[in-house]
Formats: sequence, structure tokens, C-alpha cells
Amino acid sequence: MVESKHKWKAWLYLSPAIILLLVFTVWPIINTVRMAFLENYNSMGAVGGKIYAFGIGNFKQVLDYKLFLNCLGNTMLLTVLTVPLSTILALLIAVCLNAIKPLQRILQTIFFLPYVTNSIAIGMVFAAMFNMVGSAFGGENEIVVTAGIINNVIEFFGGEAVNWINAGSTYAANITVMVVYIVWNALPFKILILLGGLQSINKQYYDAARVDGTRRSRVFTKITVPLLSPMLAYVVITGFIGGFKEYSSIVGIFGEHMGPAGDAKRLNTMVGFIYDSLSTQQGRASAAALILFGIIFVVTMINLYVSKKKTHY
Amino acid sequence: MKILLQNLTKIFPGRGKKNTQEVIAVNDFTFEIPDGKLVGLLGPSGCGKSTTLYMISGLQKPSGGKIFFGEDDVTELSAENRGVGLVFQNYALYPHMTVKQNILFPLQNLRGEDKLPKDKMIERAYYAAKLVQIDDLMDRKPSELSGGQQQRVAIARALVKMPKVLLLDEPLSNLDARLRLQTREEIRRIQKDTGITTIFVTHDQEEAMSISDLIVVMKLGVVQQIGKPQDVYDDPTNLFVAKFLGTPPINVFTGKVSGGKLFIGDAPVLDVPGVEDREVTVGIRPEGFVLDENGPLVCGLNSVEVMGRDVSVVCRHENAVSPVIRAIIDADNKVAAGETVRYTLKPHKVFLFSKEDENRIRF
Amino acid sequence: MSDNKTMHAKDLQKVSSKQTAGKILSKFWVYLFLIVMALIVLFPFYWMLISSVKSIDEYRLSVPTLFPKEILWSNYVEAFNQANLGRLFLNTLYVGLVSTLLSLVITVLSAFAFARLEFKGKNALFAALLATMMIPGELFTITNYATVNSLGWMDSYTVLIVPFLVSVFYIYLLRQNFLQIPNELYLAAKVDGTSDLKYLWKVMIPLALPTLISITILKMMGAWNSYVWPRLVANDEKYQLITNGLRNAFTDSTGDVNIPVQMAAVAIVSLPLFLVFIFLRKYIMKGVSRSGIKG
Repeated sequence: MVESKHKWKAWLYLSPAIILLLVFTVWPIINTVRMAFLENYNSMGAVGGKIYAFGIGNFKQVLDYKLFLNCLGNTMLLTVLTVPLSTILALLIAVCLNAIKPLQRILQTIFFLPYVTNSIAIGMVFAAMFNMVGSAFGGENEIVVTAGIINNVIEFFGGEAVNWINAGSTYAANITVMVVYIVWNALPFKILILLGGLQSINKQYYDAARVDGTRRSRVFTKITVPLLSPMLAYVVITGFIGGFKEYSSIVGIFGEHMGPAGDAKRLNTMVGFIYDSLSTQQGRASAAALILFGIIFVVTMINLYVSKKKTHY
Repeated sequence: MKILLQNLTKIFPGRGKKNTQEVIAVNDFTFEIPDGKLVGLLGPSGCGKSTTLYMISGLQKPSGGKIFFGEDDVTELSAENRGVGLVFQNYALYPHMTVKQNILFPLQNLRGEDKLPKDKMIERAYYAAKLVQIDDLMDRKPSELSGGQQQRVAIARALVKMPKVLLLDEPLSNLDARLRLQTREEIRRIQKDTGITTIFVTHDQEEAMSISDLIVVMKLGVVQQIGKPQDVYDDPTNLFVAKFLGTPPINVFTGKVSGGKLFIGDAPVLDVPGVEDREVTVGIRPEGFVLDENGPLVCGLNSVEVMGRDVSVVCRHENAVSPVIRAIIDADNKVAAGETVRYTLKPHKVFLFSKEDENRIRF
Repeated sequence: MSDNKTMHAKDLQKVSSKQTAGKILSKFWVYLFLIVMALIVLFPFYWMLISSVKSIDEYRLSVPTLFPKEILWSNYVEAFNQANLGRLFLNTLYVGLVSTLLSLVITVLSAFAFARLEFKGKNALFAALLATMMIPGELFTITNYATVNSLGWMDSYTVLIVPFLVSVFYIYLLRQNFLQIPNELYLAAKVDGTSDLKYLWKVMIPLALPTLISITILKMMGAWNSYVWPRLVANDEKYQLITNGLRNAFTDSTGDVNIPVQMAAVAIVSLPLFLVFIFLRKYIMKGVSRSGIKG
């Protein structure tokens, strides 16, 4: 390091970053905490000179609020379903990719492809695939013109068409569609990280295991998974964080009303809740944002703690 | 168990578009390793010694030739079914397992009739650990061990399943000098105690010489010489072997044979009856020089290094291939200060090699 | 010590033929699994492409066609016009380029200060910056919305560019990269009387170019994919970005939209991303594996 003669130089170089961070990062942190603890705060009132009392009313209100609990439930459900599913699937694909030579590069590229997509745009494709096209679906005498390609496939295998996302669809069907889409979207990143991890494992461990006559399944559980555990932990943590911030994939499929026609906001999430109340109910939005931060923080800590116990080196 | 390598050959295909040349790593290697011996595969890097070891382990498939364990042809058998113990150069200890778990690991792989009850496994693991004297480190992780200790764990892990053959890849290269001495004695002792046929690979001739029953000297995939260490040292078949064995290394001169006498420069230095007149390369072991005021070989004196028991005389000669030559003489002899030093030569420490193919010319 | 049983030649043969068969079989399952998964991954793209050129009548056939009977390119023209993609495209390109450029300058200067200059409180400041990475961005949005509102920036390019110019993560990434460049080079440059900026331009930036390219691509992709913030602050069509325009153009409360045209629009929006991916695959994958952040 060099003792610069002009100490102000460093600050000069840093000044654009610091000024922007002060306005758009530091101030928001302070302000969010402030607004969250002012009872029923909203900025319109504040501009009008209204004084708000200090208290935890916003948090109480948010937690009592049925819509918020619904958002919390959706978020949790989607996270709990998609993180393990996508992690296991990504692990399987990465292990298989790592085991082959011909076609490895092309397959790796294919599996990465969903990453370079716009989650709203491709959400619209998924919606089309699950969509029953006709006029408003659900009435007794409605004629369905096409059941959507997914239903076509189901019917081809002798199943019965399901109303996935249209008016009158069930919550379970909606969640299934979301899980499929979110997993599809989450795979590329996880495969990339896990494959990178696998490729950095010293080949000699596998040679040693082979000489010792280790079965494939045992190599996987006793050597691959433990040696991959830092990457697995990373993938799970980022997966949880992403899961709790789920929003745009739902917009992609269901549009901004966040639910099938006739049941708007059914699939709303925590982030969606924050955005909904952001322009009118800043106190409530801030409280929800802090709760979201709290959950992410706690989940991350738990994950780190568990993975520290499980990853031994 | 004796091991027979029959015309063993390994060819690596050229890799990539730029490098299409195939590489013959091991070329037509035939050798029978007697039961219960310690054999050192010796040679500079790239000589095919590790490839040979990996072919014996089953991790690499030979391109040609056969491998027999006892009477069984195991050439087509993959590593997991050969029952060999292999110690890797950097040990390849599983970092997430304790020493005990590492040593137990091969036993837990056994299935069917070979499967052991748990207490029997523990017993075997402790037996192997005691053998290499690490039974007090069983609950440590590899990262908490020194290099020497890790090496022992690796050996214990290879021994615990009582292999027919123990293979060691550069077992001492990652250790410091003092530990190397100690560990090589240890390997010798363990091999003697267990009586397992053991093959190890090294580029360090001193290491191979000191503990092996037999050494195999290899160069560019071709076996140069096989024999007891002392025999190979005393009777090398070609210049490469002569140069590769011995510290300090052999001194090489250009010379010629004329009328049954060996000339280095203009001086007749040795009688070599029965050798026809020709140009030769002469190798003289450092201990082959005898100080003699009237000796025929006259060298310029550089310096004298006293090393306790011995004295190393560093000198030069215009017909020497290297800039300095080293003679080791008994410390009782005093080297007279001066410009030159004169020697006579011990005939059995002088080797002649053909200038053309570097093979030994015996006399 | 060894208690080996001698294996007979027949047993040996059996074992070795069994192990070869097992190897081939397991390879077969591995490839089968990978190829099936790859097809599943690719299917939405395939469906998007073939649907985008079907006529609406063909799309609505109760038994779907896996390849269109008649290729209807006019869907693309219609999509382009209906969603006003030209304007959206230019908006997005403008916002992406300007914010990438400014962001690179800010990131390089800050990373240089953190990597090479000595000043009081440097480590504390850097730690504080890193700490902010833990906080979800949604928390900032609430206040930032109010801030840009009171600054009078609503419905402008500024509001789309300025709030996201600084990324602590990119500063961190580039600083790590700069630190790997030997300090001796800097000292030598100082001895030669080279100015900081010249050194930065001539030495550090060329050496850190792969990281800078990764940042550029991720930042551009970010602009291309950003949805939430533009939706909040740019309701005026003049300033909308491509993703918003796409979503808005095809949101129909009756659920009865012309899906082939919609798919054509999606394909148009996706195409630039794929092109970038094909040509800069290495940088993207490297950048992503280090960042874990989409956009």
C-alpha cells in the first residue's frame, strides 16, 4: 500500500459512490426503521405536517393483517417447496454432467439457458403452456378450444386436464405451476455452482475410493456430497434468500393482479405486499420490509450454523 | 503374491488438435516381482514409472500386454476388484473424515461374505494404525496432522484391507529432508512386518537404493535395468543408469581405448584388456579415485571439502564432460596444497560406454 | 497378513465382463436422464418459437401441432407494433448503456481507492459497505420511491438510472481483482512519475478487463430484465422499459389474448439476451458463478 501524499484523493475517487450510497442506501435504511416505528406513518400525512407517535403498531398491524399472512404463507410455501426440489435436481444434473465427456459442453450450455431469460417474458410462455384457451373458463357451458400443451400431454398419457391458472383454478394447481416455473428458473445457477464445485474436487479422492472398491452410491454420499457441502450450503442459502424475495416470476405467469382471474392477490408474496403498500402506507410497508429482512437474516444464520456443523473443513 | 508384468505398454493418444503426437508412456515392460519384496520404480519425471504403478492398481488400462497377480490375469479387472492398496503422492486423505473414519473407509466398502462385523473393523483399523504408530491420533482431522502423520494415515488406510499388493506413488516427496529419512526406514519396517509385496515409485535414487530389494530404472517408458540396488550401482548397463545412480554423481570423461589401454587426454590411465581400439565415454565413480603423487590422471585442483569421515576433492579436467569432477577419498589422506592433484583409478569403479549408443563396454 | 482367495479364471472373466456391462449401462442412464432434462429445459423455448408463428386458429386446435402448418411471420410485425417494442427497445438500450457506463466509472474509481490507496477508516468503510449487501433491496425501495418523488424525478430517464449506479458487490468484485495485481507495478509507476489515473487506465483496467466485461454484461442484462422499479416510477409510456411494456401490452383481464402474437413479442424480447449469451458465454458464466445475483 502506498501512503498517498494527497489523502483527499482517495475520498475524491470514492465520492460519487459514497454520495449515491448515502442517498439511496444509507438513508433508506435509517428511514425505513424510522417509518416502521411511527404509528400508521404515511408520507402524505407527514408532508401535511402530521406528527406520528412512536410505537410498534405497524408490526402488530402487519402481522394481524390477513392479506399479509396470506403473502407470508405463499412465500414460505413456495420457498419450502422449490429450494429442496431445485437443489436436489441441480445436484443430480451436475453430478451426471460431471460424469460424462462427449456432449458435456453442449448440455451444460442448454442447462444454463434459462438463466439468460427475462423471468417476466418466459413466465408468459409458461402461462401460455398451462393456459386453457377459450372464453372465460369455468362456466358450465363453456367450450374449451385448446386445453394448453401441458394438458394435451397429460391427456395423451391418459390423465385428465387440469385447470391450472385460469379463473376457477385451485390454489394447489396455481402453486404447482409456480413451483415448476421457479424450479426451472432456479436450476441454471445451481447447476453452474455445483458443477464448478464438483470439478474442483481433487480427482485423487475418487481414485482412492475406486482402489478401495467403493460403491457408486457410497462415493456419492460419503465423498461427493461432503466435499461439495460448502457449495451446497451456498446454493441453499441463496435459494432461500431468492425464495423469500419471490415476486416477478408470479407476475410473469399471473400478471400484476398476482392470481388467477377472479381471485386477484391469491398468490401475492411478501415483496408484492411491500410494493402494494409502498406509495400509500409507508409505515406498514417498512414494517413488512423489516420483517422480510429479519426472516432472511434468521434463515441465513440457521443455514450457516447448520452447514458449519455439517461441513467439516 | 508375486506380480508378473508381461509386455506392458501404455500409449496416450495425442490430445487436442495442436498436439496429435501420441505418447508412449510405457514401452514393452516385462518383469516378475517376487512375492514379499519391496521394489522401487526409479527414473526421472516422465519416464513412465507412475503410469506403470497406476496400471498395476487398475486405475489406468494398459494399451497392450498383461498383468498377473499370482496366477490370475487381472489385466481387464478394474481397480475396485483388484484388492490393491494405493498411497497417493499427496495422500488423498478425505478431508471431512477423521483419521479413524479414513482408515475404516475401505473396510466399510466390503460387501457380501467379506463384510466384517463392526468391532472387527475397529480392531483392524487400530491394528493398522498401530503398525504406522498413529493410534493416538485417531480422532483428528487430516488438516490437523503434519505431513509425515498424513503419510502414515495414508499407509494405514492402504494396509487396513490387507491388500495383496501395496503401491506407493512418490511416498516421500512431500516430506522434509529429516522426515524423509525417518519415513523411508518406516516403510521398510512396515513392509518387512507385513510381508506384502510392495512397489513404490520415486525419482530419488538415494531413496530407492536405501530401502528396495530390487530397483527398476526407467527412462522414457523403457526399462533400463532391473536388479538389486548394489548390483545396479556396481554394474550399470548403460551411461544413463550409471549417471542416475549415486551421490555425488559419477564423473564422465571422453576418452579412447588404444592397445588395451584407456587414455583420458594423452595420459594412459587404466589397463582395459580385451577392448578394441575406439572412442569411448568413461564414467568414474567418485570413490574410484586414489590419491597418488605419481598417478597418471592429472587434474586441476579447485577446492577440498572436508565432510568428517570423507574428503571431497573438487577438481577439473579438460576431458571431463562437466565443469567440475568430484573425488571422494578417505579423510586420513592429506591433499597437498597446490595447482594439481594426481590420481590412479580403481578398475572396478571405472565404466566404459560406447560413444554411439551409450551401452556398457565391459573389460 | 493377506488372506486372499485365488480367483479362478472363469470368475475373473465374469467379474470383468460384469463391470464393463455395468459401466455401459450406467452411462446409458446418465445420458438418458440428462437428455430428458435438457429437453424439458428447452421445451418452453421451443414452444415459444413455434407458437409465435402459428395462426391463432392453428394455436387453438384441440390437438396441438408440434410444427406449424403455416408460418405466419406477420405475428412478429403485429407484436412489434402492438407492444410498441421499438420505443421500448430504444429506451432500454439507452438506460442500459448510460447506467453501465456511469456505473463502471464509479466502480473502477472506488475499487481503485479501496485496493491501492491508504486512508483513515478505509477498512471500516469497506466493511460497512459489505454489510449493506445483506439487506434485501426491497427495503431501500420504499424510501427511494419517496426520495425520487420529492426530487421530482418521476417519469424520467434519471430515475431509471441514478438510484442503481452503485453496486457494492461490483466494487467488491473489482477490488479483489485489483488486489491480485502486484503492488510493485504501482510502486514502479509511482517511481516513474505516472499519475494514478494514467496507471489505472494503462495497467489496472487492462488487467481487470474480464471482470469489467462481466460487470458490463450483468448490468446490461439487469436493465433488460428490470421490472419492479420502472413499473413504480415510470408510468409514462415514454419512459417504460421493455419488460414492463411487454407485460402491460398483453395483460387482458378476460384472459383472451392472441397468444401467438404474445409469443412473438416474447421471442423478440428474448432474442438479444440469447445473442449476448452465445457470444459472451464465458464471461456471463464466470460473472454469474461469482455473483449469484440475477442482473
